[in-house]
Amino acid sequence: MNLKEWIKTLTFYEILLGMKATLSHLLKYKPITLQYPHEKKPLPSNYRGMLALLRYDDGTEKCVGCDLCEAACPSRVIRVVSAEVPEEPAKRYSKEYYMDMTRCLFCGLCVKACPVDALGMTQEFEWAVYDKRQLHLNKQQLLAIGDRNFPVREKRLEFQHPNVAYFNVGFKDIPQKEA
Amino acid sequence: METGIRLALTLGQIGAVMVAVLLTVALLTLLERKVLGWMQDRMGPMEVGPYGVLQPVADGLKLFFKEDIIPAGANKFMFSMAPILSLVPALIGFAVIPFGPDWTVDVGGVDFKPFVITDINIGVLYILAFASIGAYGIILGGWSSNSKYSLLGGLRSAAQLISYELNVGLSIVGVLLLSSSLSLVTITSAQAGGFWNWYVFGGGAFPQVIAFVVFIISSVAETNRTPFDLPEAESELVAGFFTEYSGMRFAFFFLAEYGNMILVSCVSTVLFFGGWHAPLEILQGPESLHWLTGMFWFTFKVYGFLFLFFWLRATLPRLRYDQLMRFGWKVLLPIALGNIVITSIWAYIFP
Repeated sequence: MNLKEWIKTLTFYEILLGMKATLSHLLKYKPITLQYPHEKKPLPSNYRGMLALLRYDDGTEKCVGCDLCEAACPSRVIRVVSAEVPEEPAKRYSKEYYMDMTRCLFCGLCVKACPVDALGMTQEFEWAVYDKRQLHLNKQQLLAIGDRNFPVREKRLEFQHPNVAYFNVGFKDIPQKEA
Repeated sequence: METGIRLALTLGQIGAVMVAVLLTVALLTLLERKVLGWMQDRMGPMEVGPYGVLQPVADGLKLFFKEDIIPAGANKFMFSMAPILSLVPALIGFAVIPFGPDWTVDVGGVDFKPFVITDINIGVLYILAFASIGAYGIILGGWSSNSKYSLLGGLRSAAQLISYELNVGLSIVGVLLLSSSLSLVTITSAQAGGFWNWYVFGGGAFPQVIAFVVFIISSVAETNRTPFDLPEAESELVAGFFTEYSGMRFAFFFLAEYGNMILVSCVSTVLFFGGWHAPLEILQGPESLHWLTGMFWFTFKVYGFLFLFFWLRATLPRLRYDQLMRFGWKVLLPIALGNIVITSIWAYIFP
């Protein structure tokens, strides 16, 4: 060690430098803490939160019971029991719809797969529960999540026959109505 | 009659000091978390009460109602004794600390010193002796828990306390040479009349600033605080010697740690920073107000040292075990010995 290093060691130069750093943080106190339950971080608009089933603006369910979400799901979260609408043999709907959210990894593939945009991802994430069975959601619960997160509902398109499931292919491909 | 008055006065004094110390401990638990948080750009406890000020109350209640577990295979007697063995020495040291001016009041024919519980002429020795007994509590607590982590924590602490107690003792010797007394009251009154008379600045004799640095480093090690918190290293030993403790027994160890912190702060205030004396004679105020300014300056200095403890904890990482031992034996010990030699020679040449 040369003289300079000796002096630095004897005067605790490095330690004092560190203590100066901590003291400056104490004096210029600017916490980066977010008091979580009281204040929340704004989520990005494409946040993939809790899944939900959606309705049209007239209150009818969008889901046509096609099972594509079940096929697309990599974690086998979704189970759909499809059935014909009584007295409307051409139309199908999901009689039962279950989601086991304990397995869901929020990849969003089911939402992408849905041909009628019946599934949506909400901004909800505070779903900690004491009983795992509460995360096994049925259709009513999923619809309720959709109702409380998507108050503005999509219009049922007018040219769509009520008995025909409308398979959408993105908005730009929808034939535009004349004004 | 005289014995009765003496007993009542002393018991009252002990009660007052105990309450003050325990309240300080409660305050320190909050203060430490707050200061540490502020230094690390966090907020510290914020939930209990406004800005988390009731956190010590919540912690105390939690510890009080927690289940008291004695691990299977533990030595029950030793397991119960260890927290008491470490708490009592931490609190008993305050008996000789002078908190204010050395007044003697006559109460019903009894000479009563209101600001020191007992002014024995071996005060420093008494504190050192009880600090050594505190090590037994830690070692026994580690051994009797029947847990590997506890045992390792206890062993580490045994080696650490032995190494660093030596340095504490040797760094004090310079002050004892200058004041030629072991009584803390006499040492304090020898430092009256301005900050240049404090032993850390010498007051004509050899300045004890090196001894003070050695003393502060060693007392951080003695109280098992960061950067010398090897006996309770969280990342290595879970919690060290009190891993298996819970409830009130854990609270006893906790109180002992913070009590020791306050005690070494008090001791370094008295030995090196003039005890209750103000830095300038003017700041001490008139003679009749010495009790107030004395208590104020004493508390101020003690809290300054406690802040230093928090500050060090926020800044420094933990030492490795071999670094700790090398630093204690090969650096601090020769410095402390050299300080004794130089102080004695200086005192001999310039009496």
